[in-house]
Amino acid sequence: MIPLNPQIFHIAICTLFLAQTPNSWGKDLEAFPKLNLNDPGSVKEAARVLEEELKLAARPQTYVLIDLAEKTIHIKGRGVELHHMPIGQWAVGSREALTGVHRLVARPSVVRRKIEPGKSAEQDPISLADMPADYDLSFASGLTIVVASSAEKDSLAQGIAFMGKAWWRQVKNWANAIGRDSSIPPAHLELTVSVDHAQSLAWSLVDGMAIIIRRPTNNDVF
Amino acid sequence: MSRVILAGTAVAVLIVWIAMAPDARMTPSSPSQAVHPPVVRDASNLRALQAKYKTLSTQLSKLRPNQPYILVDTARNRLYVKRQEEVVLDAIASTGSGTILDKPGDTDSQWIFDTPRGEFLVQSKLTKPTWIKPDWAFIEEGLGVPQNAADRAEEGVLGDYALGFGKGYFIHGTLYTRLLGKNVTHGCIRLNDSDLKGVYTLARVGTPIMIF
Repeated sequence: MIPLNPQIFHIAICTLFLAQTPNSWGKDLEAFPKLNLNDPGSVKEAARVLEEELKLAARPQTYVLIDLAEKTIHIKGRGVELHHMPIGQWAVGSREALTGVHRLVARPSVVRRKIEPGKSAEQDPISLADMPADYDLSFASGLTIVVASSAEKDSLAQGIAFMGKAWWRQVKNWANAIGRDSSIPPAHLELTVSVDHAQSLAWSLVDGMAIIIRRPTNNDVF
Repeated sequence: MSRVILAGTAVAVLIVWIAMAPDARMTPSSPSQAVHPPVVRDASNLRALQAKYKTLSTQLSKLRPNQPYILVDTARNRLYVKRQEEVVLDAIASTGSGTILDKPGDTDSQWIFDTPRGEFLVQSKLTKPTWIKPDWAFIEEGLGVPQNAADRAEEGVLGDYALGFGKGYFIHGTLYTRLLGKNVTHGCIRLNDSDLKGVYTLARVGTPIMIF
């Protein structure tokens, strides 16, 4: 019988324990935990998005990742998720136009309350409820993101208004296309989210903010 | 007459085409109609893609703060101190009111009382801070701006500690604890005394502050 040194026994047990412990740090490394690593298209798209995100995360700023594959909008900084909100539905004019980093140049205006000097200091502040729930976001790249709240489609009148806006938007795109190469479709992404999330997104956006978009493949789970 | 009917029909067809266009041209969020990217069939290409993805994931994770950082949600008026994914401190805060105040004598210029969004660093840690009232504080109260700097100093209104994060913005205490959870400040972030002490203890000069 081989005499067992207690110290060696202790090291062996610890080694065995460590080998069995799930690598939690490794989990943290996964940028897209639900990614199907066996789907080349999905992996390629995830890598493309990561290349773009790395540039943004290297600088002191917050940015937005619109993940169409997982139907989630992420507000991030330094690769850390600060907040996220689900996307109900989405539709896109041209998938190719969604690549790259898009800088926000126009966002919905907010009616701010003006302080009257000498009056009570407790004047009505702005709140999430003051934020619009249906709006367009314009980007330097030419991309337009239309944010529509799901409530807007709830009633017949609101549904008609929503369709009317979509129709008018298409007329404008069509008119704009006359003056340029008509083979290039207008870059246009439509997101339908809840009222709360639409207002929350409007609140979080700042001028010049960068947005990147992850596109799904047909193998992504919706 | 037939030309008029023909032209009218053409216009009607055009209008219907435009009206149908938004839905017909959109790629909906359904898997069956998603556009297929070029398929990489070669297994070695797949392995290369997987390796690239893993490398990029690792690079991104290395940019994450490995020290405690402060996260401020201005919409919901919450402040968190986080260490990686762990929430070390969760506090109700007050952040910027979003209101505006005209600058006297300048019709085009205003103060906007927003809490700035983005990433900042703790630049200073103060104990028993004194508030040096800026011009807007006097103008908002309908008072004249004092010429003497000493007349701007106000003791005891910022709590026991203050953490500066640049351009005059601070995380500090408040006398108005009933307003915590609301957007009422001029851009600073207010906390109650115990949460302020916790943040002061956990944060160092250089601690990142992410505000959205």
